[in-house]
Amino acid sequence: MTVQPISRADAEALLYREAELLDEGDWDGWLAMYTADALFWMPAWRDEETPTADPDRELSLIYYSGRAGLEDRVYRARSGQSVASRPRPRCLHCISNVRVISAGAAEAEVASAFVVHLHDVRAARTHQFFGRYRHTLRLEDGGWRIAAKKILLLNDTIPTVVDFYSI
Amino acid sequence: MTVDLAALIDDRPDEGVFRVDRAIFTDPEVFALEMRHVFEGGWVFLGLESQAPGPHDFFTTAAGRVPVLVSRDGDGRLRAFVNSCPHKGAQLAQIQSGNARLHVCPYHSWTFDSAGSNRGIKWQRAGCYSEAFTGASHDLAPLPRFEGYRGFLFGSLNPDVPALAEHLGEAARFLDLVVGQPEEGIELVPGAVTFTYDANWKLQLENCSDAYHFTSAHPSYIRVLERRQQAGGPAAVRSIWEQSQAWSEESEGVQGGSYSFANGHVLNWGRIGISETHPLFEQAGALGARHGEAARDWIFNMRNLTIFPNLQVAENASSQLRIIQPLAPGRTLMRTWCLAPRGESAEARRLRIRQYEDFFNPSGMATPDDTVAYESCQRGFAGRVDPWLQGYARGAMASQEGGNALSAAIGAGAERSVLADSQLCDETLYHSYYRAWLQRMAPAMARGA
Repeated sequence: MTVQPISRADAEALLYREAELLDEGDWDGWLAMYTADALFWMPAWRDEETPTADPDRELSLIYYSGRAGLEDRVYRARSGQSVASRPRPRCLHCISNVRVISAGAAEAEVASAFVVHLHDVRAARTHQFFGRYRHTLRLEDGGWRIAAKKILLLNDTIPTVVDFYSI
Repeated sequence: MTVDLAALIDDRPDEGVFRVDRAIFTDPEVFALEMRHVFEGGWVFLGLESQAPGPHDFFTTAAGRVPVLVSRDGDGRLRAFVNSCPHKGAQLAQIQSGNARLHVCPYHSWTFDSAGSNRGIKWQRAGCYSEAFTGASHDLAPLPRFEGYRGFLFGSLNPDVPALAEHLGEAARFLDLVVGQPEEGIELVPGAVTFTYDANWKLQLENCSDAYHFTSAHPSYIRVLERRQQAGGPAAVRSIWEQSQAWSEESEGVQGGSYSFANGHVLNWGRIGISETHPLFEQAGALGARHGEAARDWIFNMRNLTIFPNLQVAENASSQLRIIQPLAPGRTLMRTWCLAPRGESAEARRLRIRQYEDFFNPSGMATPDDTVAYESCQRGFAGRVDPWLQGYARGAMASQEGGNALSAAIGAGAERSVLADSQLCDETLYHSYYRAWLQRMAPAMARGA
């Protein structure tokens, strides 16, 4: 059996699945979509128009090299020891503008746009985070996994909290 | 004025009483007076010299509600102006920072040089202006007071304030520790992070100085550090908190304490030791040789410094510079940066940045547990059955007049000091905030009387 390069429909299905797992709080399922060495990166902004580009010399909002960093975040959010994490805000990821940038036999690059609608139940407060995703997908054990996710958050004046489940 | 400002703070040191009325955090009239008298009536922090390093470089900031333009003129002299065109009031500089020999107002093209002098009024000759207009100054309004201390820039919209050195007083010795780490000085790591929270600005003021909340508000962060220690691995970002006894219940002896300085500045600190988890570890020897062991040990301690009312430098878990900008009684804007010594190694810088993101970002694992707690307080302040808050009492019997041997070792005095074990968690240092607050509010009270 030869593996076909990923189609846009398959890429969309993967992004929608990730969105659903985050929105439903199935964070184990979400982590399982990532490779062990996955990069998870949300840059900060150097100035009004330029996001930071070098995570070793410039600040990021979130930067983890390896899924263990995401596992820490999930652990914290579930620990019952973080007042910011409970009650869990209600989030809805809407993903659009999906394009397959490159599609090789074992690796693919997918660009998309996102809006996350968030309702903070405790504060009765609703807002949105929006921006662009760039997913690097890698074929591992016969399935596509997320090897890198870069999140460009466009509205970066953060209303109190932003976490992995709301971007 | 209907609110009795002095009645909001119950300060009776001889009776061991210090209480604050919840209304100080919620009353719109109090907030309006704070903006006018605390933020626009005295010294406030504006930014760092390094934000405008070369001729004609500029950055924008704020003094209370007033937009401010800090510009380095062609001769290299820094100046601060109200960032507002004298013509119709539009903000002149539109961006956070840049370089401009000339600032052209986007509304009617009045033009100013980097020293604030008016260099052009569009179609002036055709304007049929009166002599009175032509004879008047059209330059940018300079801030009435503008001074720097070792790269930290402060301004005052009120001309009638003491010199900056007097305002900073002994707290300057602890700014020295921030600046004095490297030979090359300090810089802001590129990438500013801005966040808001729906609560009063003084909650941030207090939280920075609050040793009591650490194990209560941040156990999830502490547990994550423990997980990383167990798992190990080169990718795991380490933290000075891993090895610190400063908050451990098992620790004994002096683990930290606080200093209260004149004019509302405070420092709380915890003993850390020269830890390999600190980005400065590579420089420990050089720092000792240059500054002496006492100063070096202080540099490695965790130190949270507040320069009243709007500057905080937090050196714990990494290093952060914060500007507190009140927006409303129940809303605050925080402008934050990672502060770093120039010339540190790439590896140390990387560690500092990773530690910072974990702890200080609103997208990290500690700050959200603070800001959400502030919002919880703000909602709780509605409860006025007993208006008096009891969070200013710890340490009352430990607070001593003056500094102590540890501050003396770096040539610093203080108005009051506390030496603490891991569980004392002084709250008397907040008294300085509220006494300075009352001092700044004095003109409002005089008018109300």
